[in-house]
Amino acid sequence: MKTGMNDMRRLMRLFRPYRIWVVGGIALGCVVILANVALLALSGWFIAGMALAGLGPQSISYFAPAALIRGLAILRTGARYGERLVTHEATLRFLAELRVWFYERLEPLGPAAMDSWRGGDLLARIRSDIDSLDNFYLRILAPVINALICSIVIVAGLALYDGRVAALDLVALLLAVLVIPLMVQKFAASAGRGLTEIRSALDSAATDTTRGLGELFVLGAFERQRARVLELGERLIAAQRRQMWVGAIGRALSGLVGNLAMWGALVLVIPLVAAGDMPGPQLAMLALWVLASFEAVAPLPMAFAAFGETAAAARRIFEIADATPAVRAPDAAIAKVPACFDLTLTDVSMRYRPESDWALQDFSLSLAEGESVGLVGESGAGKSTLLALVQRFREFQSGEITIGGVDLREISEATLRQTISVVAQRTHLFNASIRDNLLLAKPDASDDELHHALKLAGLEDEISNFPDGLDTLVGEVGTRLSGGQARRVAIARAFLRDARILLLDEPTEGLDADSEARVLEALGKLMQGKTTLLVSHWPRALAFVGRVEKVGHEPLHESRS
Amino acid sequence: MALSSTPTHDGSAKRHEAWLKQKSRAVRGALSLTATSGLIGGVLLIIQCWLVARVIDAAIIEGAELDGVWQWLWPLLGIFLARALMSTITDRLAFEAASRIKRTLREQVMARFAARGPRWMEGQRSGEIANALGSAVEGVHDYVSAYLPQKQLAAMIPVAILVAIFPQDWVSGLILLITAPILPLFMIIVGRGAEALSQKQWRRLALMGAHFFDAIEGLTTLKQFGASRREAEAVARISEDYRSATMKVLRVAFLSSLVLEFFATLGVAMVAVYIGFRLYYGQLDFLPGLFALLLAPEFYRPLRDMGANYHARMEAIGAVGELMPILSEDSGEPDNEQREGSGEPNEGSGEPNEGSGELKKAQALPDRPIARVRFEQVSFHHGPTAGGEESHGDGVEAIDFTLARGECVALVGPSGAGKTTLGKLLLGFLPVSDGVIRIDEIPLPMLAPDAWRQRLGWMPQRPTLFAGTIGENLTLGAPESTRDDIEAALRAADALDIVHKLPDGLETWLGDGGSGLSGGQIQRLALARALLGRPDVLVLDEPTASLDAGTAARVLAGLDRARVDTATLLITHDISAARRADRILFLDRGRIVEHGTPAELEAASGAFARFVELAERGVL
Repeated sequence: MKTGMNDMRRLMRLFRPYRIWVVGGIALGCVVILANVALLALSGWFIAGMALAGLGPQSISYFAPAALIRGLAILRTGARYGERLVTHEATLRFLAELRVWFYERLEPLGPAAMDSWRGGDLLARIRSDIDSLDNFYLRILAPVINALICSIVIVAGLALYDGRVAALDLVALLLAVLVIPLMVQKFAASAGRGLTEIRSALDSAATDTTRGLGELFVLGAFERQRARVLELGERLIAAQRRQMWVGAIGRALSGLVGNLAMWGALVLVIPLVAAGDMPGPQLAMLALWVLASFEAVAPLPMAFAAFGETAAAARRIFEIADATPAVRAPDAAIAKVPACFDLTLTDVSMRYRPESDWALQDFSLSLAEGESVGLVGESGAGKSTLLALVQRFREFQSGEITIGGVDLREISEATLRQTISVVAQRTHLFNASIRDNLLLAKPDASDDELHHALKLAGLEDEISNFPDGLDTLVGEVGTRLSGGQARRVAIARAFLRDARILLLDEPTEGLDADSEARVLEALGKLMQGKTTLLVSHWPRALAFVGRVEKVGHEPLHESRS
Repeated sequence: MALSSTPTHDGSAKRHEAWLKQKSRAVRGALSLTATSGLIGGVLLIIQCWLVARVIDAAIIEGAELDGVWQWLWPLLGIFLARALMSTITDRLAFEAASRIKRTLREQVMARFAARGPRWMEGQRSGEIANALGSAVEGVHDYVSAYLPQKQLAAMIPVAILVAIFPQDWVSGLILLITAPILPLFMIIVGRGAEALSQKQWRRLALMGAHFFDAIEGLTTLKQFGASRREAEAVARISEDYRSATMKVLRVAFLSSLVLEFFATLGVAMVAVYIGFRLYYGQLDFLPGLFALLLAPEFYRPLRDMGANYHARMEAIGAVGELMPILSEDSGEPDNEQREGSGEPNEGSGEPNEGSGELKKAQALPDRPIARVRFEQVSFHHGPTAGGEESHGDGVEAIDFTLARGECVALVGPSGAGKTTLGKLLLGFLPVSDGVIRIDEIPLPMLAPDAWRQRLGWMPQRPTLFAGTIGENLTLGAPESTRDDIEAALRAADALDIVHKLPDGLETWLGDGGSGLSGGQIQRLALARALLGRPDVLVLDEPTASLDAGTAARVLAGLDRARVDTATLLITHDISAARRADRILFLDRGRIVEHGTPAELEAASGAFARFVELAERGVL
């Protein structure tokens, strides 16, 4: 809980540049709530006063209250529109701030930050966490502060007329604001437990079913899978039902408390009116006042329910943001630029954690400039680790890596990136045009250069056949491009980059033979004259390199001409 | 949240909602019950307002003491409790109605799987269908549980309130009656503008909103190009564009609620002021006046709540967009059902030639193992139905060959030659366009699909391991396998060490897509699974694709032992795998261009020999 509050404070600090919007939204929110309470209370007072004036000798000046009622109505509506605009403006400004802030912290961590989080769900996790934080102001901060301010004003106002009614309202509000939501949260937490698990079990059962439908049929296991999916559906409904009960009872109780408070106010005030200690119209006013006061706290249960999720999201996001980068950049003063491009690894050892086994132990390898070497080895032998080390995504514990005789640790990041280019099994294509994806490698490339690179990658004709040519959008997951085409876009990028050292990480993995042949053809051109390290277990790919080395425990030296 | 509303595409929203309404008809009873329960709550509210008005009237106008009003105060407590109870019951009923629809939808999707079979998946995007089963079904929940009942209540409760107010104070009733239709009317006018605007801008907004996550996902790539710092500026710029574009939409979108709130609030104020003046001039008694005042905000409340449920509707429309294509009647071709119906004519619906066409009844296979599979002039062409970009496999033409028990025939050839297609034809995932496949002389279409599949083993190019333990995965097709059977199958697939190395062995839980296992390990486990059922006919699609040379050799040796009792169709472009087969069929552009034993073909210096040479030089 304590770290939770700290995280929240830290989150609020990110809002600082936008405090005008934040405060403005809250102020307008308060105007909405208070105008509504005033409108109802005044209406009650007004018609009771008018009724008494119509019946007897009491006179009433009715112009002011009648105008005020209309004025409050307009104020409330206008303020509501303004509030929604301002709070959303604040939210969106914060969203921009948060994203840039987070990106700037994630960027130096590099890929190491991503793999230390297990599995592919990291991105989904970040996505939903950032979404939760995006809505922090709208869902939590604004309703809570509004409720706090308005409750104080409402209760203080009541106290001007009758202290006991004010006290009653205060107690009832506290019940509705704190006791019931906390109870609800407690039950909701226990009811909600398992909901996420069941939901993701259902999702993965659904994925399994569609992906493996053929296997399920051939194995005669479809009926079992169907039963499993439907059973998970039932379990999900059961878990949701528990949550529904908690929410429904919470809502019913909150409504009940509001009604009881009004009832109490009637019981308290009627004797005063009967005794002549209080003018009659105030009875109507106070009863409606108390009833309306509960609108101020109505959004709180939802805000409380969202709190836990948001706090957990903030915790995870801050944890990532606070991580120390796996590698330290060299001081600008000592940074060196390699003059030639041979690559040497000497007795390099690396482990991911001090307590784990060596991922790579005493590994040595040397590539002369322009030489190409293939790396083979069982999965887990350290091939990917090796590539991460050469790219300076990971730190190694002992040994030395040099490029052109310069210690890798003394090369600035900018120089290193200029020196090395990578074609990997998983090269990300951005959800942008093909042109933008290519320009990534060389921002100032001309169209001619782009076309030339595509031609070298054996992709020019295919791209020209797309309706929008270079401006064709790649689509969310590379939908318009086949796996082989995507790989060749990556190769075109490497052509544009024209770095002297080339790392190829399973460049043909997952491709069918036809695509593989085209990719290999393009790679053959790309490799010419470059120092190339190729990780693959495909004989056809390995045929392109001058010699093959094995990563792993038994060293193997198989030389080819 | 306004920030994550669901897109609606090009007027399909209406069709989607109509479909969903039609589905909701199945729970009409439950929904009416929900609405009735909500209406009872509304009537209780009217009674509550009357009792409160009565108490205040007695105290102010009649000067009653507290003792004089207990007779109304006590029933008021009862009403409070009853309302709390009714609101809980309403929530419960709404939930059950939504749950029933979700259950039905899931059953229907699964039934669609059962009816269409694997053939249906060819050329579909499996991710979208999985999503339909998972989140899309959930997406209709709030529409059924909140939006639909609220829509009914928005019509019924105001009417009930009018019925209560008119006899008491017809002027207030009239004010409410006049303002009520204006509200939805204005909402529709303004809402339509907002909707058109969001549709136009939706794609752009979605793209901008997702840019940040795209950048994070591609961080490694950005790093590799030294572009990751630069990208921070892009994140800032695009987030800023996102903000201004979203605000532009919101300014219009919020107008509809502004209009709604304006008229609702103004309506209440007008009722209050009019009541006040008529009270002042003695044209109205206090009790009906106060009663009308108390009810006025409640009159508009259901309409205002409708606005809050608008999001549920948008979400459901989006979800239906995923469900409808799957559940609507005309999607895909039937796979399983067709053969059960007796005397169903061949309409050429993807099955223009069911064998000789004379036999209509499903035929049983003899109990003994299948001795022979024969392809007779088998062709397959893509129909015009090829919807997806995903490959259906390529066409094949006049394929003729026999595969006998104990024999292994390798299908070799360049990619796109039709190897996988032949496998799928044999598995029954694709319909034969011409010619016939005979299983021990029985045409394949005459066999009951289930009976045929019982004799089959299949390992696809990309096998699926299901959520569950490794043991459950292995025995999926043969639940009664003994431990010895499992070990034997694992040994044949060179997968024993995978299981032995895991601390929980066969009990190891596999998550999504066999997480924690490498591609090669998944492949070997899937091979063990295919072997475990002791199939008569085994179709292996690139069994050595993700294996290194040593493992591949061990797997192939295991297969040699296993294939004695089996007719094996081995699809491969791995030369060392092909060399182990008894015979090789070399396919090119859908036709068998060469066949013979590996030795014969290598000696013949034909297509296969060239293929081997190219592969060994690594030029292929």
